[in-house]
Amino acid sequence: MTAQGFAHFALYDLQLIALGILVLLYAIKIRQLIRLPMPAEGTAADRATTDGRAVAASYASILTPTALESTRQHWGRWLAFAGYHLGILVAILATFTIPFTPALMTKPVRVFCAATILIGLLAGFLKIAWRLTIPELRVISKPDDFFGLAVLQLWFLVAIPAILLDHIGWLTVYFVITALLLVYVPLSKISHYIYWFFSRYLIGQKYGRRGVF
Amino acid sequence: MSEILELARAELDARYNRLVALNTSSLCTRCGLCADACHFFLADRDPEVSPAAKTERVRSVYKRDHDWLSRLFPRFTGARELTEDELDAWVDASFQYCTMCERCVINCPMAVDTPAVMAAARGTLTAVGKAPEILVQLADAQIERANSMDLFKDLLKEQIGYLEEELCEATGDPHATIPLEKEGAETLYVALSGAHTILPAAQIFHSAGADWTLSLFEASNYGIFLGDAKRSKAIAQRIIDEATRLKVKEVVITECGHAVFSYRWGVPTWFGELPFKLRSLIEVLAEYVDDGRITLDPSANPEPVTFHDSCNLSRKCGLMQEPRTILAATTEDFREMSPNREQAFCCGAGSGLVAVEEWRETRLGAGRPKAEQIEQTGAKVVVTSCDNCRHQIADLGEHYGLGIEVRNLAEVTARALA
Repeated sequence: MTAQGFAHFALYDLQLIALGILVLLYAIKIRQLIRLPMPAEGTAADRATTDGRAVAASYASILTPTALESTRQHWGRWLAFAGYHLGILVAILATFTIPFTPALMTKPVRVFCAATILIGLLAGFLKIAWRLTIPELRVISKPDDFFGLAVLQLWFLVAIPAILLDHIGWLTVYFVITALLLVYVPLSKISHYIYWFFSRYLIGQKYGRRGVF
Repeated sequence: MSEILELARAELDARYNRLVALNTSSLCTRCGLCADACHFFLADRDPEVSPAAKTERVRSVYKRDHDWLSRLFPRFTGARELTEDELDAWVDASFQYCTMCERCVINCPMAVDTPAVMAAARGTLTAVGKAPEILVQLADAQIERANSMDLFKDLLKEQIGYLEEELCEATGDPHATIPLEKEGAETLYVALSGAHTILPAAQIFHSAGADWTLSLFEASNYGIFLGDAKRSKAIAQRIIDEATRLKVKEVVITECGHAVFSYRWGVPTWFGELPFKLRSLIEVLAEYVDDGRITLDPSANPEPVTFHDSCNLSRKCGLMQEPRTILAATTEDFREMSPNREQAFCCGAGSGLVAVEEWRETRLGAGRPKAEQIEQTGAKVVVTSCDNCRHQIADLGEHYGLGIEVRNLAEVTARALA
């Protein structure tokens, strides 16, 4: 296979295979989760009552750092969280726009994407530094925390020149790492973002029922 | 595998429901932001007692069994085998250093439900005989009391007789009574084993002209602390049977945080729809104030007063406005602690910690954030609606030299009865 041929495979077929594996793994995990019984609280009528506003408030807390005491007290950590996840979002979106809507990737768009991913990269370094230096964070950090951070840093590092330069070599590496990540993410702690949707819903429902949110 | 570990394994599996599965999955990102929400951590900033660190002990064992990556590479994810040493460590993590106050839950960006995991740990430890012995004894004594009530009834009647004399004196009504086993009464009032939960309430009921009767049993439910639904249900059954037998319209639970929590959420779960209403005394008192059923004189409580929100009543039952309605009508100088309501700090002794004498130093240390909050208000009287909190705050007052008196809402209200 030529370099051009492998690049095409990495940008299209490999992504679809990896995405397919990701969807399959999540489908199995979510099926396993929802097949378990849900512990009850209150009467059947209580449980059937869902305060939509409480659930919405629960979800909205991610966008409003003032909503939680923990993020009010640690606004720097919230900014790093926001910058990091924005970087991830843009790096994911780029893996779709580059192969499928290349016309969108004009020079200003590429510069914007690279700059956003750079912010994510810098936030990632902060996250690693905090894990190593803040005692309550160091105690709970495991090898997979550092591995996850390191892999994403590598992904960011490759994504910036790939998007900015539109170079076939960088793009191939970027898409190969993306494919590996797509397979690794459902197995790893990075899959927290999927569980977040469930936990925020349940917490909104619970505290809404209790009249707290 | 030893018998204990086999039993523990079976218990853990039985408790692996959707909530536990979700909270022992990769939901927790180990960001550590929960630490500052926890009074145990704030006491001396020990990283081992942050909510994430405590939960991780239990989570790591569940992950060993249920997480694909942890099964293959346990050291990589920090997954651990279940051992007897691990179970011993859970006793500290779940009973000694967690009061299940849920403050970390409402401040966790990922909404990790730490108490859901801790309850699974507590229940497992209870099943294998590693729960604090005093809590098991207290729960079993509550169940036993129902089986041999005839032995206690005469003694209770005698004690109530003495309280009735005090009630007559306090109300100025020589015919004032504390009814027991009154069939068809509107309200069955379930107190605790202490005059401070009976006499002030009796004065208020008398003043409001309420049709009530006192329960033969106490409101507390030690089964809840053990994470043991079977014991919890058996303890609650006593009150359900009594209320059914007396054909009351309403059961009113005294100022006891975990009791109100267990009757509000546990009882309907265990028994379904009941033929009577279940309410907390503070809801009844707030209703009396709002409806003008009792006449109150706030000048009877002139000292600076602050209010401690019990975790069970505020975060777990949403009873945050009712105490303030009562205090606005009964005190002259009410001062809020900060933070308060759903963000209030635990007193440091909830979920049974107050009953375990050998952990006294732990709870006094964990109460430091609360002691500092109280001190900042300059209050001389701390009002709280939970007997556990009352006991702990009195101890904190002594330990930290706060110079405070602790009262419950009924006591403050009874003093203000005009």
